[in-house]
Amino acid sequence: MPPRIRLWPRVICLRTTPAKPPPTLHCSYASMATVITTPAPPLGQAIRSASPVLRYPPTQPPSYKPPEVRKTQLHRQYQSLLKSSPLILLFQHNNLLAVEWMSIRRELASALAKTDAERQAAGSEDIFGSQIKIQIIQTGIFASALRVVEFFPPSEDPLNHAQNSSNLKSQSSLKIPSTTAKPEDARFTHGLSRHAHEVASNKKLKLELDPLLSGPLAIIAFPTVSPQHLKTVLSILSPSPDFPAPRRKANPDYHEPSVQSGLQKLMLLGVRVEGKVFDQEGAKWVGGIEGGIDGLRAQLVAVLQGVGAGVTNTLESASRNLYFTVEGRRMDMERKEKGEEEEEK
Amino acid sequence: MITRFLTDVRLKFNPFSPRSKSARLFLSLIPPSARVDGMKIESKMLPRHSKEPASLALKFKDGKEMDLELDKMRITEVMERVDRHSRLLARKEELLGN
Repeated sequence: MPPRIRLWPRVICLRTTPAKPPPTLHCSYASMATVITTPAPPLGQAIRSASPVLRYPPTQPPSYKPPEVRKTQLHRQYQSLLKSSPLILLFQHNNLLAVEWMSIRRELASALAKTDAERQAAGSEDIFGSQIKIQIIQTGIFASALRVVEFFPPSEDPLNHAQNSSNLKSQSSLKIPSTTAKPEDARFTHGLSRHAHEVASNKKLKLELDPLLSGPLAIIAFPTVSPQHLKTVLSILSPSPDFPAPRRKANPDYHEPSVQSGLQKLMLLGVRVEGKVFDQEGAKWVGGIEGGIDGLRAQLVAVLQGVGAGVTNTLESASRNLYFTVEGRRMDMERKEKGEEEEEK
Repeated sequence: MITRFLTDVRLKFNPFSPRSKSARLFLSLIPPSARVDGMKIESKMLPRHSKEPASLALKFKDGKEMDLELDKMRITEVMERVDRHSRLLARKEELLGN
């Protein structure tokens, strides 16, 4: 009878557990596979540099503040308004009711439509009365936008530092700026860039309009400097002896209590005309220019014509004097010669 | 600011002076229905280069007159000065039981 061997399951278990994990075969296979299957880069890519790629949408260069918030969009909107409108009227509005705003806007629109009709009858082509509107602004954002417009002139073309990708033998000849997609890039020249923000936030630069930019403000922006439209707006919104308000008979709507009580709360503070700031008197002066820019041109032409005649007279006089002198001298000498000849005879 | 005891407000300021800020803010604190309710408000704007300081003359319902030099005060101080008297009047009104 063979001896009985006792098997202890615990001992077996201990012995069979391996001291170190077996090498994983999958890893090595995978790495070998990548080494083998990755193709070599094409020869062109190794010789030439990669063609430039625009890293942001061309209409949305990266902005310093988050672009999706209302503040940023207002800032951008005010910048474009300030750049595109040479004549801006600044008003302070003191707690106007919605009804009053509505009726003032209605009166303004109807008066401007009347002015436009007059201009059309006179044969003028500048009809933009419908674009002139009173608009409430966020004062702080408007002040900041004005600083950017005044102190951050985009001096260089944004494409100056651009690489022309046509040199690089790529498909398109489109110029692509080499700015990176980060707002810190100092080469950005749009008004929302970080560079613009830093230039405009310099406290040493003072705006002429700074004292006006506080409290509740509303503006009226004109697409061109048009004294006739300005005259209409002034006569509606801040009537004075020079710019009388429409009579009750001519325009009964204007004398409604809602319009009149609204106008009492609206104050004209100042005007910005082509970068210069004027007060109320200045606004009246601009509004009082007869015939607008054409009238001024006619005056200038008249002045220059007068000057031209004067200049030709002055310039001619020198040569004329010389001619008379020389001629006089010639006559004199001829007379003397004749006298000598007669003496000789 | 308590404005219901004011009957007469006269303001004079130059908008181009940085010190006239409190004058303009005072105007913006007056409620929209004040003129309809009988408050007289006269604001006079000075030309741009005038050196005249901003000033405010107030009359209360009990006949007290108050002259403030706005160019030396912030709007909070102006409000304090006006409210101090207005609160007195409000208290009197309350005690009379109206």
